[in-house]
Amino acid sequence: MSLKILFLDELKGFYKSKVMIILWIGIPMLSILLHFIPNTEDFPITSLIAILIASIGGTLAAAMLSTSIASEKSRHVYDLFLIRPVRRRNILLAKFFAVYLCLIIATGISLILGLIVDGLTIGILPEYVLVQTFESLCISLAGMAISCSIGMLFGILVSSVPVAAILSVYLGNQLTALSILPTVFLDFINPILFGVIIGISVSTCILTISIMIFNRRQF
Amino acid sequence: MQQTLSENNKELIRFYKVSKRYKTLLALDEISFSINKGDIFGYIGPNGAGKTTTIKILVGLIKDYEGEIYIQGKKIIKNLNKIHKELGYHPQDVGFQEWRTVDHLLKTFGRLAGLHSVNLEFNIQEALNFVNLQDVRYKKIIHLSGGMIQKLRLAQALLTKPEILVLDEPLSGLDPFSRYQLKNLIKTLSKEGKTILFSSHILSDVQDIANKIGILNNGKIMKIGTPDELQNEFQLGNLIEIEYANNSEHCKGIENISNVESIEEVKLNKDLIHLKSNEELDNCIHNILKLITDQKCKIYNFRLLKPSLEDVYLKYVGGDTK
Repeated sequence: MSLKILFLDELKGFYKSKVMIILWIGIPMLSILLHFIPNTEDFPITSLIAILIASIGGTLAAAMLSTSIASEKSRHVYDLFLIRPVRRRNILLAKFFAVYLCLIIATGISLILGLIVDGLTIGILPEYVLVQTFESLCISLAGMAISCSIGMLFGILVSSVPVAAILSVYLGNQLTALSILPTVFLDFINPILFGVIIGISVSTCILTISIMIFNRRQF
Repeated sequence: MQQTLSENNKELIRFYKVSKRYKTLLALDEISFSINKGDIFGYIGPNGAGKTTTIKILVGLIKDYEGEIYIQGKKIIKNLNKIHKELGYHPQDVGFQEWRTVDHLLKTFGRLAGLHSVNLEFNIQEALNFVNLQDVRYKKIIHLSGGMIQKLRLAQALLTKPEILVLDEPLSGLDPFSRYQLKNLIKTLSKEGKTILFSSHILSDVQDIANKIGILNNGKIMKIGTPDELQNEFQLGNLIEIEYANNSEHCKGIENISNVESIEEVKLNKDLIHLKSNEELDNCIHNILKLITDQKCKIYNFRLLKPSLEDVYLKYVGGDTK
């Protein structure tokens, strides 16, 4: 019960934050603008969007999660949640799922916009382009899940808000790229299957570690 | 232990040999005390004495400690969920997420506490009316003043209409008018039958509201009692203060008061005389009054001096006070 309340609560918070405006409006706009750069005019925009969302969206989400947790932790925001019948892990899971859902919505908006632009400029997209886009989307979702969980971990580990932001942006990007790199270089890997497995397993592991540390912390 | 608890039906909260260590620092050292139903228990001590640690243990934020705490005879560690509903907690310096409005914050906390929508709306209105924040219900918390935020902290503590209120430094950082308002609110809550534990490092706050005081220093309970008990125990000796009309001719002879039988020490200061009597206080008072009457000296004030709570506090915390 508390997870649902907290999730809806966090969703409202992130929905109201300026970062979500960037994700939901800024990135789709940026992708469309990129399409009009001379050399990319014949390149399907939908794939480009998937890659953009994965890197920028994931990085933003990681920074947002790490800074909000580090700041809320230092200001004892969680005290008033924890004196009520709320499990500590639900506070973290609610944050994670809320941000992740916001990213999925951002991805959805961007891809739909991209498909419309592609449809208008290139015409009906060939099947292989749609398959590639879907593969990119799966890898993007996996990357975003990993980025979010890394952001969460640094938010819990680090007390300083700027340090949490720097670590989550820099190391978060590196670790996320490292996790999904095999899909680029190894042809025999099915990117969709790999993306799903690596996304779920790595983010679950990092989330579990985060929850364990969070449970032991005294605020 | 159970026998001890059942001996006093009024007893609501009991700390029994509670200790807490942070690595090498012993924050609480076997503290034991009890709070009766309806008490306003002022928990006073200098900064770092262990007040917040005690409170965080009581409300369940710190779970690894030694000793036992009982609420209504039940160990809190085993009944945290039930106890959450009976406790209202006003934390010290807790922050709120900036994007929230007062209404949204209270709704979230109410839902998390298990309140259903009808009760929730009613309780929110009642809590906001009580702390006089109904006008800012839909304002963002970031736009509230310090005094309003303290009141909001109190409002969220009252949401579930708890029997016990635990207030950690509720008056700190407030301007005099807000302090006055909040003190009155705490007194009103006590009149409604709530049991209140509140901490402070400012003596006058405790003196104004509490009917029972616990003095904490370096993690140890130094003294517990009613304000009168604490004052009476700490004897300054039999001191008398007389305020007289210094410019009156009749009072010139009063300067010979040191010759009165039973007086050990006299200090004259303009229109004030401070006297220390020997053990025969009644005799001393009689002799002084006789001298005053004989001289027809005009007296404005005649009183026995009791130790102030400040004296008591200073004795136990070694001068670390405001």
